[in-house]
Amino acid sequence: MQPDTHHEGSLAVTVLVSVGRHPLTGRGRRADQDARGVELARTLRGAEVELLHAGRLDEGSEAALRGYLGMGFDALSLLEQPAGADVLPALAEALEAAGPQLVVAGERAEQGEGSGLLPYLLAERLGWPLVSGLAAVEDVEHGVATLLQALPRGQRRRLRVRLPAIVTVDAAAPAPRQSAYGPARRGRLDVQAAPVMDDVDLAQWPAQPARKRPKRLKIVKAASARDRFKAAAAKAEGGGGQVLSDVTPEEGAEAIFKLLKEEGVLR
Amino acid sequence: MCDIQRRDPRQEWIARNRLHPRHLEVLADLGGQAGGGAAREWMGPHGLIRRNPHGAGFIGPNGVKRIDRSGGQQGQGASGARASTAASKPRVDIEVPAFLVAVVPDMAGGRLTGHDRDLLGLARQLADADPTARGAVLAVVFGEHKEDDFAGAGVDRLLHLAEIDGFAPEACLGALVAAEQAWTPRHWLLPDSKLGGADLGRRLAARLGERPATAVWQLDADGEAPLGWRCTARGAAGTLDFQRPLPRLVLALAECAEPVSETRHAAEPLALSVALPSQLARIEDLGQVAVDPAGVALSEAEFILSAGNGVRDWDAFHHAAEVLGATEGASRVAVDDGFMARDRQVGATGTWVTARVYVAVGISGAIQHLQGIQTCDKVVAINMDPGCDMIKRADLAVIGDSARVLEALVALVEQSREEKRNAA
Amino acid sequence: MLDTLLPILIAAALALAVIGAGRRVRLWRQGRPARVPLLKGLAAMPRRYLVDLHHVVARDKVMSNTHVATAGGFVAAAALMILVHGLGLAEGVLGWLLLAASATMFVGSCCVARRRRNPPSRLSRGPWMRLPKSLMAFSLGVFAVTLPSVGLLPEDFGSWLLALALAAVVTWGLAEMVFGMTWGGPMKHAFAGALHLAFHRRAERFSTKKGGSGRSTGLKALDLDDPEAPLGVENPADFTWNQLLGFDACVQCGRCEAMCPAFAAGQPLNPKKLIQDMVVGMAGGSDAAYAGSPYPGKPVGEHQGSTHGPIVAREGKALVDAETLWSCTTCRACVEECPMMIEHVDAIVDMRRFLTLEHGNTPNKGAEVLDNLIATDNPGGFDPGARMHWATDLELPLMADRQQVDVLLWLGDGAYDMRNQRTLRSLVKVLRAAGVDFAVLGNEERDSGDVARRLGDEATFQSLAKRNIATLAQYRFQQIVTCDPHSFHVLGNEYGELGGHYRVYHHTTFIAELYEAGRLTFRPWKSGSVTYHDPCYLGRYNGEYEAPRNVLRALGIQVTEMERSGFRSRCCGGGGGAPITDIPGKQRIPDMRMNDVRETGAELVAVGCPQCTAMLEGVVDSTAEVRDIAELVADALVEAPSGPAGRGEEQMRTVRPLAEEVA
Repeated sequence: MQPDTHHEGSLAVTVLVSVGRHPLTGRGRRADQDARGVELARTLRGAEVELLHAGRLDEGSEAALRGYLGMGFDALSLLEQPAGADVLPALAEALEAAGPQLVVAGERAEQGEGSGLLPYLLAERLGWPLVSGLAAVEDVEHGVATLLQALPRGQRRRLRVRLPAIVTVDAAAPAPRQSAYGPARRGRLDVQAAPVMDDVDLAQWPAQPARKRPKRLKIVKAASARDRFKAAAAKAEGGGGQVLSDVTPEEGAEAIFKLLKEEGVLR
Repeated sequence: MCDIQRRDPRQEWIARNRLHPRHLEVLADLGGQAGGGAAREWMGPHGLIRRNPHGAGFIGPNGVKRIDRSGGQQGQGASGARASTAASKPRVDIEVPAFLVAVVPDMAGGRLTGHDRDLLGLARQLADADPTARGAVLAVVFGEHKEDDFAGAGVDRLLHLAEIDGFAPEACLGALVAAEQAWTPRHWLLPDSKLGGADLGRRLAARLGERPATAVWQLDADGEAPLGWRCTARGAAGTLDFQRPLPRLVLALAECAEPVSETRHAAEPLALSVALPSQLARIEDLGQVAVDPAGVALSEAEFILSAGNGVRDWDAFHHAAEVLGATEGASRVAVDDGFMARDRQVGATGTWVTARVYVAVGISGAIQHLQGIQTCDKVVAINMDPGCDMIKRADLAVIGDSARVLEALVALVEQSREEKRNAA
Repeated sequence: MLDTLLPILIAAALALAVIGAGRRVRLWRQGRPARVPLLKGLAAMPRRYLVDLHHVVARDKVMSNTHVATAGGFVAAAALMILVHGLGLAEGVLGWLLLAASATMFVGSCCVARRRRNPPSRLSRGPWMRLPKSLMAFSLGVFAVTLPSVGLLPEDFGSWLLALALAAVVTWGLAEMVFGMTWGGPMKHAFAGALHLAFHRRAERFSTKKGGSGRSTGLKALDLDDPEAPLGVENPADFTWNQLLGFDACVQCGRCEAMCPAFAAGQPLNPKKLIQDMVVGMAGGSDAAYAGSPYPGKPVGEHQGSTHGPIVAREGKALVDAETLWSCTTCRACVEECPMMIEHVDAIVDMRRFLTLEHGNTPNKGAEVLDNLIATDNPGGFDPGARMHWATDLELPLMADRQQVDVLLWLGDGAYDMRNQRTLRSLVKVLRAAGVDFAVLGNEERDSGDVARRLGDEATFQSLAKRNIATLAQYRFQQIVTCDPHSFHVLGNEYGELGGHYRVYHHTTFIAELYEAGRLTFRPWKSGSVTYHDPCYLGRYNGEYEAPRNVLRALGIQVTEMERSGFRSRCCGGGGGAPITDIPGKQRIPDMRMNDVRETGAELVAVGCPQCTAMLEGVVDSTAEVRDIAELVADALVEAPSGPAGRGEEQMRTVRPLAEEVA
C-alpha cells in the first residue's frame, strides 16, 4: 500500500475481518478489534495488506465489509459461506494458498459464538506461532517481527516472533482510522468459492440475549450476626461519600493516602 | 508468654472488693489475662478458688452470650478464636480421587488472583459434586510463586513447574499436554482473563482438539449432559448467552463461582514422571516494557489524577502525578486554557475513563465530566467549594486548598516509600 | 494629437479587456458545469446589483456613498468616454455629462483615497493601495481630455508635452480600469462581481417579489446515486464554474474577516484569505502576493496550488490546511456580511465533504461522532431506545399512538443532554398550558443529520434524512415545532431537496404565536436585566430575529441588546461541528460571546438553542445566567382556564394538513 517506504522487500499481510455488531443497536459495523487490526497492518512499513472475510454476503454484511474498504483498500476477498458455517476450513485453505507472512485478526468476533478460538485453530492447523493481544508491531526484519503485547493496566511486553505468524489485536491497539464513504463505495468485494463445513454443535446450543449477571455481594465470614449486619450495612452508607471539611491539608492527605493504599494503586 | 502463674495479692483483693474504686478495672485486667471478657476464676488469698459467675461463658457467633458447662469452651476468648480460624477450618483430604479437575491459575504477581480463587471454587464444585466419588483439584502453576495458601483455596494436588518462567506460552502448552497425557483430567479449567489464561486455554484447546466453552459464568448440574453439567457462556462480545453442555475444557469468567472458604485441602505436590519435551521457542520474550504512567491512554489507565480549573500550581500537580504514579487527566476548562493536552480531557466530550481510582483536583464536576467518570470505582475529590457536584459524586472529598493537600499527600507517599526501603 | 490618440487608446484598452475577459471566462469554465439561466440572470443583474448588493453595502453609509459616486461615475464616464472620445460624438450634452460623471468619480475616488490613508486591518493592501490613485488618474485624465471637447478649453490648448502627459495619465487610468478589470487588477471585482450576480448559485437569494423569502441557506445535496459524481471538492476545478466566478468577485473588503468568530478567536481561518486562496488555486500559483491578514498563526507564502492540484494535501501543505476548513462554525456571518454575495460556507462544506467522504479525515472527535450517528442515530452514541427516558414521568403522547395531531414536537438530540432536558420539560409545560394538541416521535426520532452534514458526511446526512422523512410520512400533522434551531433549519430548509416538505416552527416563533392568540398568560418579569443571543441557525439562517424578542417582550422583559446582535450576532462557537473538530485558537468563541454579554451588564442571557446553551454555560466565571426562552416562559406561566385553549385547537385543526402533500 505504501510502496515508497519499504526497504527490504514487501511484507505480505492478511487481515481477517469479520462483520461486527454494535453493542447497543446491534447494527452491522466494522468489528472494533478487526478494524484495529486493519489499522495496525495499514501502518506497517512496506506491508502489502489483503483483507479476507469468510461469511455471507448480504445487505447487512456488505455495509460492514465496505466499512473496511473505506479505510483505503481497493478490494476485499470474500469467501462465501452460508450462515452457521464453520469458517475454519475455508480460511485455512485460503491462507495456505496465499501464503502471507503475517496474519492479523481481532481477538474475538462480535457475533456468533465469539469464542476467540479461530486464530488459535488456524495457527494450529497451519503450524504457525500465534501471539495474542497485540498493541503494536514495532518492526519486521529478516523474517522476525518485534511485537508489543498489551497487558492489563496499560502495561506492555515486547516479544519477538518468527514469521509466518498469526497475531491478534485487542482494544489496546491503535484506534482505526475513519472509514471514508468514497473508497468504501468504490471498493470491490471479490467473492470466491470456498469449502463449506457446517457448525453442527453451535446450532444445537440455545442462545438468548445476555442476562445481566448478578453482582456478587461482599462475602462476610463474620462470627456474629452483628458483624455481618455491619458489613452489609457498610456498603449502603457509602452512597453519599465521606466529606472532610475543616481539616488540615495533612489530615486530608492522610485520608486520601489511606484510600489509595486500600485500593492498591500506589506502587 | 511464660506459663508461670504469678499472683498479685493486691489485685486479687481489689477483685474481691466490689466497692473498691478500681474493682472493675482490675476485673477487666484479670479477665484479659485469662483471655475472656472478665475473670471467671481466681485463687483467693486463702487458697480458695473464687468464681465470678458473670464472667462465665463467651459471646457466641450471633452476639449472644453462651455458657458451656461441659468445659470444652473453657478459656476460649475472642483473640484466641481469631488466631485459630485458619487452623480450625476442616481439612479435607482426598486420598484416592475418582478423577482430576485441572486448574491453571493466572498467578499474576506470583499469587492467586481473585479470578483464580473463583475458578478453584468452580473446580471444587465439579470435584465434590458426587460425595461417593470425589475428584481432586489439581492446580498447575508455572514459574516462581509467592502463594502460601493453595490449601485454603481448595487445591488438592499441586503441579509446580518452576522451570517454566516468564512469558512462554509454547512451553506452558507443552507442560499442559504432558499433564494431560499423564493424568487425563476430567476437566481443564482456565480463567478467561487477559492475564494469560485466555491465551493459554485457547492454545490448549487447539492442541487437544477440544471445543472449549469460553466466557463461562454459570454452571448447573444436568444429568443429560455427557459430563453431567450444563454451563452458560457469554458470546458475541458479551451480548449473547449460550446454554451448552459443559465440555472438558472450560474458560471461565471471574465470579463464575464462590471461592473456597470453609475447608482446607492437601495441596500435595505432584510431579510429572516424564521430562518436559524441549521445544524450539518461536516466541521470544524480551521482557516487560517500562511504561510511563503519564503516557498510558486515559481509557486504559486505572489510577487517574485529574486537574481542573482550581489548580494553580501546575508544576506541583505534575510532580504529584509522577510521585503517585498516576495517569494525568484534565477537565475541559484546563484543556481549553492550554494547561493540558486535548487527549488528556476526561468527560463526555473527552475520554470516558474506566479508572478504578479517580482523584479530581479542583474540578467542580460539570455534568459532562461526571458522565465521563461514571464507571470509576472510587472517586476522590479535592476542592475548595464544598457545594460543588464533584463532592456529591466523590467517595471521599477533602475540602481545602488542593495545592497544600497534594503537597501533603506527596510527602506522605514519599515518606512511606522511604520507610519501606529502610525496612527492606 | 489627443484626438487621434484617444480612440486608439480606448480601442486598445477595450480590445485587451475583451481578450482578458475571454481568458478569465476560460478560467471559470474549468469548474464543473452548473445549470444557470444565463439570459434571465443577465437581465436580473442590474436589479441584483442596485437593490440586493447595495442593501449590504449600505450598512456602511460612508462607503456606500463612496461606492455609488465612484462606481456610478466610472460606469457613466466609461460609457460616455467611448461615445465621446472613442466615436467622436462630443457634440452637445454628452461631453458635459462626461465631465459631470468624471467629476463625480473624482469625488468618490477622493473618499476612497481618504479611506486608504489609514486602512483598517481587514482591508487588503498591495495593489489595492494604488486603486485610489488609479481612480483619480482615470477621472482626472478623462475630465481633462474632455475639457477641450466641450469647448471649455481651446482644442490646441497646451503643448504636445502636456498632451503626452495627459495621454499617459489616461492610459494609466484605462489600464487599471479597463484592462485591469479582466486581467486581474483590483477592478476585477466589478467585472467578475457583475457576472457573479447574474449567474449566482443561489438565485433565490435575490427575491424579485416584494416580501419574498430572499433567503437561501440550505446546503445543496450531493448526488450519491451516481457513482461517477465527485464527492465534494478536491481541487479548485471541482467547484462549479459559477462558484469559481463568485470567488473571483471578492473585493477583499474584509467584512467577513471582521465578523468571523473563528478569526477573532485566533483559529486558523480567515474567510477573505480562503476566498483569495481559491482564486490563487483557480489560476495556479502561490499565495505570496496576498496582501491582507493571514490565517491566524499561518504565515503567507507557504501555500500554493493549481487548478487540478489538491486544495488540501493528505500530508504536507497544499493550498489550504485542513484546520482552516475545520475551524468554521458555519455561522454564516461572513456570507451575511459579504457585499459581493459570495457563499463561503458552501465552499467550506464542499471541501469538507471531500475530506470526510474521500480522505476519511474528520479531525478529533469527528470520526467518532459520525460513527455514532451511523450506528445509533445520535451523535453521542447513546442507546436509541433510551431517547425518551428523560420524559417517562411526562407521559408524552407518541405519534405512533396518535397518528394525527396539530403539532409534532421534534425533540432533537438534546433529549439525551441533561441540560437540554430542562428546556424540553419547560417547552412541554408551555405547550400543555396552551392546550396545544401535540405528540412526539419518541424513539422513532433520529438525529436530523445537521452535524453529519456540516462535518461533510453527506452520506450519513442523507441516510438519516431519508429515514426521518419516511417516518414523518407515516403521520399527519400540520407543523413541526422544535427547540433546536439546527433541526429547525435542516427540517425546514434541507429536507425539501430529499422530498420532505414541512412547515417548521422554532419554539420561540410558536410561543410568540400562541401568546398573540391569547393562549398564554404570563406573570410579569420580576427584575434583572436580560440580553438575548441570536442563534445563527435561527437568525441568519432563517431570518427569525423578532419572535424571540416578542416573547421576551411579552414576558415583560426589556432586552438590553449586545453590540453584535440580530443579523450581526456573534456565533457561540457551537455550530458546524466546531466543538467536535475542536481546532485550537488563542481564545474560545463562547468566552468572547460571554464577554459581549458582560459588556451589556445583563444578569441573564436568553437563548433559543441547545447548542448555544451548552457552549455559553461552559464558560467559566461567567457573569450571566444562561436560560432558554422556553424556560423563562414556563417560569412565568399563569395557568389559564382551559376554555380558550380548546378554541385555539379548533382553529388550528382547520388548517390544511401538510403531511398529505408529502405522502
